[in-house]
Amino acid sequence: MNLYEPYLARVTELVDETPDTRTLRLAFQEPELARTFDFKAGQFGEYTAFGAGECTFCIASSPTRTGYIECSFKTVGKATTALRALNVGDTMGFRGPYGNHFPLERMEGSSLVFIAGGIGLAPVRSVIWNALDLRDRFKNVTIVYGARSVSDLVYKRELAEWAARPDVTLRQTVDPGGETADWTGDVGFVPAIVEKAAPSAANAYAIVCGPPVMIKYTLPVLTKLGFAADRIYTTLENRMKCGIGKCGRCNIGPVYVCKDGPVFTAEEMAKLPQEF
Amino acid sequence: MNARTITHAQLAALVTDLVAAGTAVTAPARAADGRLDYRHVARLEDAVLGGGLPRLSLKALFLPPTEPLFSFRLSGPDVAIDSVPTSFPPHVVLGAVPCDAAGVQALDKVMDWDYRDELWFGRREATTIVSVACSSRDEACFCGATGGGPTATRGADLLLVPLEGGFAVEVVTPKGEAFVAVHEERFGSAPNEADVARSRATLTGSRVEPVAPLAPVTAWLADHFEDPLWADVALRCHGCGACASVCPTCHCFDIVDEPEGVTHGTRRRNWDTCQAGRFTLHASGHNPRADQHVRFRQRVMHKFSIYPARFGELLCTGCGRCSRACPGGMDLPEVLRTIAERAAAPAGGAA
Amino acid sequence: MRELRDLAAKLLSEGTVQVVIGWEDGPRGVRPAFVTDPAAARNLVFDERCTQNLVPYLSPRRAHVAKLGRPAVVVKGCDARAVAGLVRETQLKREDVVVIGVRCGGVVADPSSLEALSPATVADRCPGCTAREPHLADHVVGELPPPPPAESRRDARIAELEAMAPQARWTFWQEELGRCVRCHACREACPMCFCERCVADKTQPQWVESSPHPRGNFAWHVTRALHQAGRCIDCGECERACPVGIPLGLLNRKLAQVASEQFGHVPTDDPAVPSPVGAFKKDDPQEFIL
Repeated sequence: MNLYEPYLARVTELVDETPDTRTLRLAFQEPELARTFDFKAGQFGEYTAFGAGECTFCIASSPTRTGYIECSFKTVGKATTALRALNVGDTMGFRGPYGNHFPLERMEGSSLVFIAGGIGLAPVRSVIWNALDLRDRFKNVTIVYGARSVSDLVYKRELAEWAARPDVTLRQTVDPGGETADWTGDVGFVPAIVEKAAPSAANAYAIVCGPPVMIKYTLPVLTKLGFAADRIYTTLENRMKCGIGKCGRCNIGPVYVCKDGPVFTAEEMAKLPQEF
Repeated sequence: MNARTITHAQLAALVTDLVAAGTAVTAPARAADGRLDYRHVARLEDAVLGGGLPRLSLKALFLPPTEPLFSFRLSGPDVAIDSVPTSFPPHVVLGAVPCDAAGVQALDKVMDWDYRDELWFGRREATTIVSVACSSRDEACFCGATGGGPTATRGADLLLVPLEGGFAVEVVTPKGEAFVAVHEERFGSAPNEADVARSRATLTGSRVEPVAPLAPVTAWLADHFEDPLWADVALRCHGCGACASVCPTCHCFDIVDEPEGVTHGTRRRNWDTCQAGRFTLHASGHNPRADQHVRFRQRVMHKFSIYPARFGELLCTGCGRCSRACPGGMDLPEVLRTIAERAAAPAGGAA
Repeated sequence: MRELRDLAAKLLSEGTVQVVIGWEDGPRGVRPAFVTDPAAARNLVFDERCTQNLVPYLSPRRAHVAKLGRPAVVVKGCDARAVAGLVRETQLKREDVVVIGVRCGGVVADPSSLEALSPATVADRCPGCTAREPHLADHVVGELPPPPPAESRRDARIAELEAMAPQARWTFWQEELGRCVRCHACREACPMCFCERCVADKTQPQWVESSPHPRGNFAWHVTRALHQAGRCIDCGECERACPVGIPLGLLNRKLAQVASEQFGHVPTDDPAVPSPVGAFKKDDPQEFIL
């Protein structure tokens, strides 16, 4: 056995979130591993479609929910096309958990503001459920989530759950032109909706993930609302292969996304060279 | 540890002993086109010791250009993984050039960074490296600037320094000491120190290093990620990666699944290079390093800034192969001298 | 050389071009130069060490070179065929580059070499050269030197290989291609390998295995040789770029011989001559069609 060999896992459920995005639930085949596997929200793994290759995704499920892990992905190339061809009962591979995590332990006793766009909700969702499963450790929980159009919203059934909870404030939005006739959420880009929602920065942390342009315009809004740069967290994507700091692919200047990240504060991001 | 000696005849017998015992011996040797490569040899006379730099470095022995990570068999919804060995048969490298041995040792750091690469260290543990002092530096070599030199021992288990009739044997590591003990009868007693000193002095010579020690370069790089220098120095770079392939310390790799039939295949890691346009290409089409000059910047940064900051040593041993191999006429010593000049220029003054 | 330097300075100072791509002396012999300042035109050289083909730098994918502005490129007769090839295959508009041709008497195989031009040091493509005075050029400079040494080792080597039994030839190529580490220097240095996405980099499907094992290496080199057949302009850059010394020139030259025998095509710096793979003539031989 070497460190590049994946664990074997079976696909136990699949959900089509959007026409091109699917969520897979995996159960490790080795019983002891299935029992003991643990990770922290924000960590990622290398998911194998045997014969096609590995893909780098965050672990989209929460560590509080044991016995399985989940990933959500968009079909963009060879390996994701092969993942999409898998059925319930088929075998995948998994290497991980790798990388650092959202320091939820630091955030206990504070309010949480989750901001996500498109498939960027996947890593954030892991933290959301982690926090909601330990709800009494946190103060206010606000979620602002948007996508290009109604059909591009992911985790629709969970959005409905969060909307129904009295202890969560959820604002859903779609880009102008993306609304349907029966859409009851906001219409507008995520940064604008964050500004409208104006979540309080008092004793609060923000967790942001989405397309680079969304993050770029959301950070100044959060700053204006009073969030300090070391209280805004995001997760970065970069091309990764080995996930363990050896293949030399993912560094942004001196920082290795797979080892020093993928979770960074806005303060750390501001120090990164423009190479991502 | 004691120094020993070995005559040419005893060294030849030692090679024969090793081969007879089933130990592979790799040494610089002539390929069909007359160039030197590190190749398996059956006899000492097939080896060329101290005769120049082999084309590729020793890196290929520990991180092969292509290496199976595991194989897999598909059967309906099931998959079985067949592991590859992580322990390897004994191997001796005879005649490693000091800059290549140093490169292997430099790579140990990243290969052990939080996750221990069993394939790399499996090969490392199985291999004894016997360096031979170098007498063939040319104007592309700058080992001195990286802390190396013709008689440097970094990465070597034993170092052979030429003497009349044979070599002085400097025992560098416990593995080297154990090797000598196992083959005790081939080694003579300690050499005449004056002879060794004379030989070393001849090898070191009075060469003027083409590049000064690199601390100022490392310091400059930390603050000059954005600098017009990068656009200037990389114009002639083809982005071909010849430099990375001949380099003793470039280690970037790709991981691919290779079907070998409908139901089975192998996952491999293959040499890759940050100089290739597609190296950092995202599935979305976004490429953080879209231009050749920023890719060249990455190479220089990784070797002289990022790796030392992380691991305390340079990712370069000054062997000069990149300059010799480059079809576009890129010259790393010249780039380093240019940076050193800028680093030394007074703040605010013209660089 | 004075003529070349004066011309380069003039083109730059008049604003006809913003960069002259030529050769200069570097720390290890002759290397490409990118002259944007007329005063620096005096660095330009041309002599028998100017082996490198500069035409790959005209590719639009080299954005950092393209950013310098409208180029002039210095070409030998063989290099001019690359300009013609790019124009012929609509990769370059003739009017987008100023071509400065130099009269040439042959170049050495190794531009970092200090040795003079001789039968032992001459590049494989030079003996028998018929393009010593480039035709495709806006300007032609320099005196015509004596012709290069006449002996061609390369065609003799090809004849030797063809005389080998297939098993022996297979063993030869296994040994040579076995050294390949898939760095793709051959492709990046080649003016005619301009595909934005090379067939070897495609993953859906994976036409060519990317691993540097014998099977993958054969797939790559045979594919590339066939893609160059009838298009290769014989500048020798692929073989010169190869860090492990694979004699790629033998493969390309052999296919060029086939292109000549079967289709009457020889590399030319006339862009109006169609490429044998890009054009069909009624009298093209067809006995291979079953």
